[in-house]
Amino acid sequence: MKNKFKYSFILATVTLASGCSSLGVEPWERDLLAKEQMALTSSPIDSALDDHIYFSKEASSGGKSFGGGGCGCN
Amino acid sequence: MSKRRKIITTEREDGYCIEFDAMASPCEVIIETSDRALANFVGKAISTEVWRIEDKYSRYNRQSLCSQINQSQGNPLAIDDETFALLNFADTCYQLSDGVFDITSGVLRKVWTFDCSSNLPSPLAVANVMKNVGWHKVKYNQTQIILPADMEIDLGGIGKEYAVDRAILLITSLTQQPVLVNLGGDLATNSPRKNGQPWQVGVEHPGFVNKKKMVVSLFKGALATSGDAKRFLLKNDHRYSHILNAKTGWPIENAPRSVTVSAPQCIQAGILATLSQMQGEHAETFLEEQEIKHWAIR
Amino acid sequence: MQLINDDNEMKKTVNKANLKAALTLATTALLGSVQVAAATTSVEPTEDSWSFDSAFLYYSEANRVSAAEAVFNANKIYSDDSILNVKLTIDALTGASANGAVAQPKVQTFTRPSGKGDYDIKPGDTPLDDTFHDTRVQLNGQWTQALAQNYTGSAGGHISKEYDYLSLGVNGNIAYDFNKKNSIASFGLSHFQDTFTPEGGLPKPFASMTAAYHDDGDESSHDATRMGSDDDKTTTDIMVGFTQVINRNMVTQLNYSYSVVDGYLTDPFKILSLLDSNGIAQDYLYENRPDKRTKQSVFAQTKYHFDETILDVSYRYMWDDWEIDSHTVDTRFYIPLGNGSYLEPHLRFYQQAAAEFYQPFLMQGDALPEFASADYRIGEMTAYTVGLKYGMKLADGNDLSFRLEYYRQDPKSAGQKSPGVLANMEIYERIDAIIAQVSYSF
Repeated sequence: MKNKFKYSFILATVTLASGCSSLGVEPWERDLLAKEQMALTSSPIDSALDDHIYFSKEASSGGKSFGGGGCGCN
Repeated sequence: MSKRRKIITTEREDGYCIEFDAMASPCEVIIETSDRALANFVGKAISTEVWRIEDKYSRYNRQSLCSQINQSQGNPLAIDDETFALLNFADTCYQLSDGVFDITSGVLRKVWTFDCSSNLPSPLAVANVMKNVGWHKVKYNQTQIILPADMEIDLGGIGKEYAVDRAILLITSLTQQPVLVNLGGDLATNSPRKNGQPWQVGVEHPGFVNKKKMVVSLFKGALATSGDAKRFLLKNDHRYSHILNAKTGWPIENAPRSVTVSAPQCIQAGILATLSQMQGEHAETFLEEQEIKHWAIR
Repeated sequence: MQLINDDNEMKKTVNKANLKAALTLATTALLGSVQVAAATTSVEPTEDSWSFDSAFLYYSEANRVSAAEAVFNANKIYSDDSILNVKLTIDALTGASANGAVAQPKVQTFTRPSGKGDYDIKPGDTPLDDTFHDTRVQLNGQWTQALAQNYTGSAGGHISKEYDYLSLGVNGNIAYDFNKKNSIASFGLSHFQDTFTPEGGLPKPFASMTAAYHDDGDESSHDATRMGSDDDKTTTDIMVGFTQVINRNMVTQLNYSYSVVDGYLTDPFKILSLLDSNGIAQDYLYENRPDKRTKQSVFAQTKYHFDETILDVSYRYMWDDWEIDSHTVDTRFYIPLGNGSYLEPHLRFYQQAAAEFYQPFLMQGDALPEFASADYRIGEMTAYTVGLKYGMKLADGNDLSFRLEYYRQDPKSAGQKSPGVLANMEIYERIDAIIAQVSYSF
């Protein structure tokens, strides 16, 4: 049951992705998107520090970027 | 001409905006400073310079040097260094375009009225007017110009852009603060904004009713737009743009309706935008080959 | 009168290929030599220049570990848009960490992981091992460049060294953009090779914790519980991602990750209490985990630019073959205050289910399971983060920001009944932590 949910989620993701081809903006409409605050990872250092904290305190990691190993954190 | 010669200063979040009208366009100067006096001073200096250029070269102003040249009836007329420099620039553009861009082509207005109608002039009428077109017939040097009778020059194609560049030069001698000069869509800046962000510039597309203002990020340099969507003729499903080929006297076919070009100086951007439109359907290719940043609308 | 524009002069031809150069020349002549101001046009940031980010973070749990972490990041963008990124991270950890045993109504004595020396835990307290002192140095390098039209490649290396741990990693990523760069599909691989050399060696699975020996004591009983001095772990991640610009205000990202961790996954410092039916600890056994874990996750993020503010929402669902699954929702809201300063509140919610072999303790008389761990970090848990960041633009154009966050973990019972005296003990102790960070970019 759980697995079924997972696969349907991925399927929905892929469907959504392929339906996206008509979306988007012209190059000159990127004024807002071009802002550094609109970058998907707008503060890479904050993200890396957070990832390190949560990697060592919780059982999940990665997702946004590689979860990786990297420390024997306790 | 000094009917509405006033400037309006308004405070913005990050500085001041000085607005005035010149060259038949709304103009604005944005200064990133907290010093209102400085903003006013710079705004006044720029508007004065822009109006000076307008007074000197507008063909609508009967007193302008341009009008005097056009009324010279083939007699030599004294010119100053600035005019000589502008004529030299126009000469370069004439040669670069192989005669397609020509500041003497203004007389073609007599037969071409771009009012979205289907009223095309007769080939004979065009040929008649073309007798008075041709930069190569004009003789000039550092001190004087001889314009044959019945010919006219029109610096409208480069005057506004020239004024933008002159304003930027002026700013350099006045202040280090970031300033954006926008004369009816032809614009330039002396530096990025204080927060390191580019200027967000809305580019108007004259005549496009349903077109949203195009917003461009500009760190430094200039932008100029050529084209007017409202000025064209339509006959037999054939769209004649208002860009005339000075060599033939006929409109350039398949030109983009509007081209915006980025370049270090506004006058360069302006002439590149115009030259590209003169390439007709090859406008974009032309700009791409020159590796020039541009935005074209067809 | 010598007129320059006569017919002879007219014949001079201008090389079309040099149109730009010819125009520049003509412009220079027109505008004079005073043109310092508008010398260059640029729609990109200044090229070929370094930019640096530095940050200092302090993490402190009430009565438990605290960590200080410093990051220095250097970024260089070349004129062809290639990017070199080098990052140095140094952190120091001190304090006490839960050893896995449960609280008891009497004093408990635990042997330190080295086998040398011990520590006492007061009645009713969650047993914490205060042995942890570690310094870690990490170096990352990443190179990103265009590979071909619409293709961007990136490759990087990672080395991290602490007293008892060495991690080496490589990663590669390729991105393909299409639809005017409105869509980006990416595929990445990463591989880590870690070696763990814990102090005191690796305990045998479910070995009893022996009494401590002292300076001139006999190490043999400690050694008998050990099975070696070091072991390895590899982590291989595959990630496929898709980024899509929706409109002028909105961009979204979707990722799927598949990760295989192979090797020594047990925590050699963690133990389980072996309880009698009254809930009294009779022994402490070292934990044992499977030597493989396969994780998968889907991650979705959306950023939306309102008139002024920016909303950033992301969700991650992770599941693995240890039967852990987790939901993470992370929200940030960027509020500009003018003059380049801003506030950014941050909310994060995290919930995980326990690993199938997680148990808070073992019961005497029950058959020993194949795997067991009492590490609360793989037990059922809910966690929250509430934070606020304040950033400002300094007069010289550099950025300074401060971040303060509160992080709370609420471990929960996975359903086990607490026998006897444990009914009055706090087994699932809440953890409160403060995260403080200062960042400076120049």
